[in-house]
Amino acid sequence: MLDVRGLSAGYQGNDVVHDVSIHVDDGEAVMIIGSNGAGKTTLFRAMCGLLASSAGEVSFQGNDLTGMATHQLVRLGLGFVPAERHLFPRMTVKEHLALGAYPGRPDSDTMNVVLDVFPRLAERRSQRAGTMSGGEQQMLAMARALMARPRLLVLDEPTTGLAPKLAHEAYEALDAMRREGLTILVAEQQVPLAMAFSDRGYVLEDGVISIEGTSEALAADPRVRGAYLGIA
Amino acid sequence: MTASILDGIVLGFQFGLLAAGLTLVYGLGGVLHLAYGQMAVISAMVVLFTLDAGVPVVPAVGIGLIAGGLLGLILDLTILRPVYRLQGEARVLLSLLLTLGVAFVVDGFLNWRYPLVGLSLHVGGGPVELLGVPMRRGSLVASGVTLASFLMLFGFLRGTALGRAVRSVIEDEEGARLVGIDPRRMLRIILVMSGVLAAIVAVTRSMVAPVTVTAGFSITVFALIVTVVGGLGSVSGALLAGIILGVVNSIAASYIGTFLSLIILLAAAALTIVLRPAGLLGVRE
Repeated sequence: MLDVRGLSAGYQGNDVVHDVSIHVDDGEAVMIIGSNGAGKTTLFRAMCGLLASSAGEVSFQGNDLTGMATHQLVRLGLGFVPAERHLFPRMTVKEHLALGAYPGRPDSDTMNVVLDVFPRLAERRSQRAGTMSGGEQQMLAMARALMARPRLLVLDEPTTGLAPKLAHEAYEALDAMRREGLTILVAEQQVPLAMAFSDRGYVLEDGVISIEGTSEALAADPRVRGAYLGIA
Repeated sequence: MTASILDGIVLGFQFGLLAAGLTLVYGLGGVLHLAYGQMAVISAMVVLFTLDAGVPVVPAVGIGLIAGGLLGLILDLTILRPVYRLQGEARVLLSLLLTLGVAFVVDGFLNWRYPLVGLSLHVGGGPVELLGVPMRRGSLVASGVTLASFLMLFGFLRGTALGRAVRSVIEDEEGARLVGIDPRRMLRIILVMSGVLAAIVAVTRSMVAPVTVTAGFSITVFALIVTVVGGLGSVSGALLAGIILGVVNSIAASYIGTFLSLIILLAAAALTIVLRPAGLLGVRE
């Protein structure tokens, strides 16, 4: 479904990620783990057209995404939830959900599915995003992305700034979306959560994919255990 | 006193509508549009020449509004293209310089080619009594049209999918991209709308006082002051600030003197920046 080949990207001519190749197949949940500054966000931003890449190709369902603008890939079915969420502070939950379906009208089936996954948003339809808690904002960012009925949802550190209980809830919501048939690619620093959730994973270190494998294999890998699971 | 306040409100609606266009363009695209007053003046001249050609008032005004919209579109397609390639402060600065250049060229041309020309639309009939003050019909019609324009603008921004999309770009441009909105397209739509708003202000203003070829810069300056006081990117802030400053201006003009009213307006803007840097209804960064 998603195929990234030899992608390099960065800022002001200095590449942060180098020659990264990853793929995500239909129906999979894939994680990218790595410490702060390893390049997860840069990789995602380059994939989603928010940052120009210096080399490599990205294809999604047979479409070449290289050089395509973000708003175009959203319409192809690629949803992206950035770590900073980028909500609209003075707009209500309802308006976010309506905008998520832009340029179409929000259809009630999708709305029901989304509000089923995030019941708290249903209670807060008229609340402005700027007045919500971090956990609620994360839910809203995911819900907004889902309203476009994406085929693949890419999430950058969905648990940033969330208390452990809310981080769990975020992954419960992701599980629910998977059961609806959504393919998911997630970057995460909270490795145990992501590992329990995903089928496969990549380890990104200093901008390079250093290890890849099934989640079970990664969980058993001594390098991953030492560096990311805190088990010596 | 009542008369001054009513006059001030009439002026304030127009100030507000002026600022609404400027504030949307800035809030949406970081473009500081200093040729805004010239767009109003050109539209007024289009109405004037169309009237001179024997066209009745209503279609002539319609043509003026279309001209205003076209001016916005032309700016978007030509002079603003290099501006869109830049981001942040560089974008604001380049847009400021280029539109200022356009303003000088337009002003110079109009002054050379059509000096001493101005548009005055006369609304017939005697004065109408309002709260014991005889108001000119022109002022009332102008206010009615301006308020109706505001209502339509609010209706568009709050009640339509396209208006919501416009607001989302003002709120968070990257967020807007992520839901499939092309910010460039929204900015083009808003530039066309701001041109139409400038034309509406020119036409309604001409019902109260003549709009001359030299009015461009003062229109832009008034719009800027109201925008700063109202808060960048806030249309309701523009309306509120417009009314407040309109009343301040009118009271200052009748009790202190017209020559000081602009200074008092500038002082009001400076005070706002000190007390509330984001403006009356603006968002704090």
